[in-house]
Amino acid sequence: MKEVMLDCFGEACPIPLVKAQNKIAELAIGDVLIVQIDHSCAMKNVPEWARKEGYNVEVEEVDDGEWEVLIEKTK
Amino acid sequence: MEKKKEKFFDKMKSNEYYVRWLKNPFTYVTAAVLLSLFQIVTLAVTKNPWGVSGPFAIWGAWVFEAVGGSVDKWYYFASPGAQATLEGGLLNHPDSWRNFGIIAGALAATLLASGFKLKKIKSYKQVLAAVIGGTMMGYGARIAFGCNIGAFYSGIASLSLSGWVFAIGIFAGAVVGSKLLVKFFM
Repeated sequence: MKEVMLDCFGEACPIPLVKAQNKIAELAIGDVLIVQIDHSCAMKNVPEWARKEGYNVEVEEVDDGEWEVLIEKTK
Repeated sequence: MEKKKEKFFDKMKSNEYYVRWLKNPFTYVTAAVLLSLFQIVTLAVTKNPWGVSGPFAIWGAWVFEAVGGSVDKWYYFASPGAQATLEGGLLNHPDSWRNFGIIAGALAATLLASGFKLKKIKSYKQVLAAVIGGTMMGYGARIAFGCNIGAFYSGIASLSLSGWVFAIGIFAGAVVGSKLLVKFFM
C-alpha cells in the first residue's frame, strides 16, 4: 500500500497522461499513484483514462490551478 | 468585518451553481454548442469566419514597419485588402480585437474558477521546443492560409473541401509531433 508521487507540474499535455500510464504499470495492486498536475486539460483526461481502466480516482485541488489526482491501482 | 467576508467567499466556493457554471469545466457538448453559436455571431458581425492566425501576420508586419522595414512589396501584403488593413492600424482591426477578446475571456474564466497559476519553465529544452514549434506553427498557418481554427474549423464549417484536406495534414503533423514530444520530453 505505498503512495508514489508523480510530479507533472509544468508539463504540456499529453505528457502527464503518458507518464501516469507508464508509472502505474510499475505499481503493485493496492498502491496509490499521486499525479501532481497544473494543466486543466490533464485534470480532465487523466481521471477519464484512469476511470476507464477501472481504477479508483480522486481529484483534489491543492491550490489555485494545481491538482493532485489520486489513482488507486485496483486491478 | 474580516470574518464576515471570509464566510461569504467560502460559501460561494461550495455553492452548487458556482461549481457547475464557473468552476468545473463544461462538457464537450456544451462547449461545442457555445463555440458554434459564437462563431455564427462573429461571422454575422465581421462578415468573415472565425480565424486566429491572420492577425499575427499583420502584427508582425506592424512591428517590422515600426523598426523601419516595409512590407508593401511583399506578395502577401500587396493586395488592396491587406494594404487597407495595414493602413487602418491596430485599433481598427476587428480580427485583432477578437484575439484580444479570446485572451481576456480565457483569463476571466480561469480567474473566476480560482485556477490562475503562472507556471515555471521546467527546462531549457522546453524553451527551445516552444520557439521551434511556435515558429513552425506560425509559418504553417500562413502557408495554409489558416490554422486549426481558420483553415480547419471554419473551413469545414464553410463546407470547403480544403478544410478536410487541412484536417488530414494537421492530424498527421500532430501524430509526428506527439511521437517527438514523448521521445524528447519523457
